[in-house]
Amino acid sequence: MTDALDANFFRHAYARLVATLVRRMGARHCEAIEDAVQSALLAAVETWPRGAVPDDPSAWLYRVAHNHLVGDLRRGARRGELLAAHAAGAPPAVTDAPAAQLAGDLGDDQLQMIFVCCDDAIPIESQLVLSLKTLCGFDVREIAERLFITEANVYKRLGRARARLRELPLLDAELTAAELASRLGAVHAVLYTLFTEGHLSSHAEGAIRRELCQEAVRLTTFLSGHAVGTTPETHALLALMHLHSARMPARQNGSGGLLLLEEQDRSLWDRDHIERGLFWLARAAEGEVFSRYHAEAGVAAEHCLAPSFAETRWDRVISCYELLERLAPSPLHTLNRAVAVAEHRGPALGLAVLEARAAPAWLADGYSWSAVLSDLHRRAGHSEAATQHRDVALGAAPSAAIRDALARRLR
Amino acid sequence: MPKYLCLQRSLPPGEGAPTKPSPAEMQAMYEKFNAWRERFQERIVDLGGKLGAGRLGLPDPAPDGPLVEVKEIVGGYMILSADSLDAAIEIARACPGLVRPGSGVEVIEIHAPG
Repeated sequence: MTDALDANFFRHAYARLVATLVRRMGARHCEAIEDAVQSALLAAVETWPRGAVPDDPSAWLYRVAHNHLVGDLRRGARRGELLAAHAAGAPPAVTDAPAAQLAGDLGDDQLQMIFVCCDDAIPIESQLVLSLKTLCGFDVREIAERLFITEANVYKRLGRARARLRELPLLDAELTAAELASRLGAVHAVLYTLFTEGHLSSHAEGAIRRELCQEAVRLTTFLSGHAVGTTPETHALLALMHLHSARMPARQNGSGGLLLLEEQDRSLWDRDHIERGLFWLARAAEGEVFSRYHAEAGVAAEHCLAPSFAETRWDRVISCYELLERLAPSPLHTLNRAVAVAEHRGPALGLAVLEARAAPAWLADGYSWSAVLSDLHRRAGHSEAATQHRDVALGAAPSAAIRDALARRLR
Repeated sequence: MPKYLCLQRSLPPGEGAPTKPSPAEMQAMYEKFNAWRERFQERIVDLGGKLGAGRLGLPDPAPDGPLVEVKEIVGGYMILSADSLDAAIEIARACPGLVRPGSGVEVIEIHAPG
């Protein structure tokens, strides 16, 4: 008999166990907890297939991981690490936590863990790596592959996050309601980054990108189900994730090349994601808050609702980008608005949006600013300027797929 | 059909460092092991198990003598049936639980009486 497990069983079991043990034993032991959970999963791989999957796999894994951790911490204690703390009158960290602390269900553990990762004393790039490690169950190599950074860089970022966690009090109590509320913005930012890493990455292959997007949707859905997280921003974030996910199946042609919005077969867009996205967008409108996630979800909704590229309600797209520029100023948003203005009122006015401000150095080096300039100049009949910007854009394209899409568009 | 004892042994350092598999890799190992088990169902006599700590029993009681920690060299055991040693090795080598970075499998024929 084959004991079929869910395709992500081990990754998600890892995340669940780490969250439960962090809540019970304290985030300062995070690294030892991760080692213990890793050992428990390995024990499962080694023993389950020889007999059968236990009736309650989670309880089995928890018991093994807990025993491993307690042994590990006791050895640490013998080395004197915790003795000083005991002498100072602090309760021993290694005994089982009192029952009161176990009252919460597993969901609460994972929710707490999201907020533990988004400690504002940890730089956001470290928050992201710690989240991928503990909330998604990716290891260092897999994180490096997904963020397109080196493993050394992942270790460095992780090290910073862990250094902060180690500073936490010996028996850190639950995060307070005030702490949860103050970290919610950081939680949104990390979930948003997790999603855009998957959605926009020009490097990683399709399957890996989808996986990151799915993880972001999973964690955000989770957040929306809890009192602390069920806010208009969370709902807007979830809306924008679903609306972007809806269009992912149509973004690539049969050979993995990128397709422009104009070229995409809209019948391939995922209706289920669109419906969920619109549902959450409606929920996001309950309340007085209008965040950058609302603006971005608004743009995505317009694209999803338009029967064709030409029939897009560009005026609404433009006003969403205007709001976005105000809420989260970025030249990238200006660039997007210029594209929408060009579609709505012609290339000359689109160019005027860009001429009103200079591209910042970091974006000017990228391909997108030049690509848009080239496209708009070509459509405005300025062939010389169009060619000039086209060469810059093609030279700066970060991947072959993007270069091919640009060459097609800008010829 | 002859039976063979398979012992998982850790390889000397340098012949593939033992790595800590990620949860996704463990999932792959788990699925591969199950596929292997189904494929060689007829050949598996005893799926065995992981071996714990051990000690060498000697003819003379020697409480302070050299103690052999079986765990150090063997991860697990299993008994297979096969037509030949080569065939048994082939089956054992296909088993993801026995052969992975840092460990190999020793296959020994069991002489049945008679």
